[in-house]
Amino acid sequence: MSDAALLRSTRFRTEREDGWRRLEAIENDVERRGVRALSFEDARDLATLYRQAANSLSVAREISLDKALLQYLEALTARAYLVVYAPQESFGGVVGRFFRRSAPQAMRRSALYVLLATFVLFLGGAAGWLLYLEDAAWFQTLVPTGDGRGPQASTEELLSYIYDEDVGLLSGLGAFASFLFSHNARIAIFVFALGVFAAVPSVLLLFYNGLALGAFVALHVERGIGWDIFAWLSIHGVTELGAICVSGGAAFRMGRAVLFPGALTRRAALKAEGRDAAKLAVTAAFMLFIAALLEGFGRQLVQGMEARLAIGWGIGLIWLAWFALAGRRA
Amino acid sequence: MKLLWWRKNKTRRKPKPMQARLHEITPPEGVPLRFEVAGIGARFGAQLTDIALCLIAVLAIVLLLAVGMEAPQDLVVSIAAISFFMIRAPYYILTELLWNGATLGKRFMKIRVLAADGKGLTVHSVVTRNLMKEAEIFAPGTMLVVASDLDGWSQAVTLFWIAVVLSVPLFNKRRQRLGDMIAGTYVIQRPVALLAPDLAAEKVEKTEAMVFQPHQLEHYGAYELQTLEKVLQARLAPDAPRAARERREATLTAIIDRIRAKIDYGEPVRPEEAEAFLRAFYNAQRAHLEQRQLFGDKRADKHHAEAE
Repeated sequence: MSDAALLRSTRFRTEREDGWRRLEAIENDVERRGVRALSFEDARDLATLYRQAANSLSVAREISLDKALLQYLEALTARAYLVVYAPQESFGGVVGRFFRRSAPQAMRRSALYVLLATFVLFLGGAAGWLLYLEDAAWFQTLVPTGDGRGPQASTEELLSYIYDEDVGLLSGLGAFASFLFSHNARIAIFVFALGVFAAVPSVLLLFYNGLALGAFVALHVERGIGWDIFAWLSIHGVTELGAICVSGGAAFRMGRAVLFPGALTRRAALKAEGRDAAKLAVTAAFMLFIAALLEGFGRQLVQGMEARLAIGWGIGLIWLAWFALAGRRA
Repeated sequence: MKLLWWRKNKTRRKPKPMQARLHEITPPEGVPLRFEVAGIGARFGAQLTDIALCLIAVLAIVLLLAVGMEAPQDLVVSIAAISFFMIRAPYYILTELLWNGATLGKRFMKIRVLAADGKGLTVHSVVTRNLMKEAEIFAPGTMLVVASDLDGWSQAVTLFWIAVVLSVPLFNKRRQRLGDMIAGTYVIQRPVALLAPDLAAEKVEKTEAMVFQPHQLEHYGAYELQTLEKVLQARLAPDAPRAARERREATLTAIIDRIRAKIDYGEPVRPEEAEAFLRAFYNAQRAHLEQRQLFGDKRADKHHAEAE
């Protein structure tokens, strides 16, 4: 060979090229068939080869001006990094961990925020109640009317909404779907999503939702069927309003990060608060799903007032127990 | 002071290579890695592919309900909306988690999600960025679908929301959505490793005259060297058409003329020797620059003398 063979960077390359090629072959394998398909030898060598490639890259950046080599090593090491640091999760592991530990722990850390959201909701409820008692015309303003319920309806009509006998798979499915697509579920989603905007829209939404609820309940109480509507709301409402409060708690955590980031930058604070907020959001989504099942099927199947109360608050207790007890270290 | 300013200005005018948006992460091994941030077009394409895939699944369910069970229309509509959500939310999260940061659409567009902290994707980051996708893309998207039923105020809010969300990735260097920022992730082009042969390792048929003195190698820096490398790496196929041959010859001759003038190289270079001359010069120049680099004298480009 000519004097070119004496080039340090060329020798460097020829000495190591076989290892790089091996790593490249493993990477191709993984990208085509996944990490689990690797043979024992390949899996064992992957980490070593990755470290060697990273080492080569750092040396090559210092001693070599061979662009072809530099670009190759950059890409080779980057790909190896992506393979080595791929998330090693299984579906069951993720779901199991979420329900056993992550969700209840995040709930306990956020208890104050969730309570605050609950307080805002109830504040709205009290305001709605008082406004209705002052002047029934408020009902039209506050409650989004989808059906015939309102001050103009007779007590019998109101009762007929609470106890109807239309039971069937399709109508249950329809109620289930329309619930999730309905007002309250959307409120929960928006309450969470709007938390980024300093939680102000979330507070307004929570309060507004409380207003509607308060006026709605006040109407029934005025007619003397307070317990009936309470039971009707309870069977799914305990879970549903719980979900709204939980997503409100998540929103408050994000809002806090935006308003009071403390020593962190806002972006870093949002990231930190996002850890628990995301878990709360998933928890709220799960609760909404259960609430939809309860509304779609439970409320039609269970027509008795006491049974509705028992189911609604029983499930509420289960939620509370999950949040309070699960995921504690022995 | 004035002179210094002028110099600074001059060095800033040096030719800059066309650079992709690179971003650096530092994995625990401590060697920084550079990734190319994915373009907006590729991400949009991936998103469309994923949505289309989910919609196909929804369509199957709807057909089953509408034709198989003869369900009423409003029920079918609400079930379609729900099943779209129930399919897409787990779809995005699970594919990105189990297939190492790439949904089918991202795979198709050769992009993937990367953790900005260099420690690998976590469940949390994948869940967060896809939950925020609900708020960023699907919530306003749904509003758009029902836009005709909304009043003017809600329409304005929806449009404003969409404008804000879409402009966020345009105004930050890593093209992050809001969800990416909260999750600490960004989307990259999948790196492709391709090793071109080492020019310096190949035999050069050089003539006696093609020897370069150290002072002749003082002129250029790494940028010029690597530009020359790029030209030389682009080899002609043996059966290349005449026109291509002539074009390459013209390019090489032009480069040789510039180099000869710059380094004061007296001997004429015949056209058939052009390739050999440039390779010989490349080898000598690279040996010289790498030598200088070892001694701590990194020369980025031909303006290295002024910069000092």
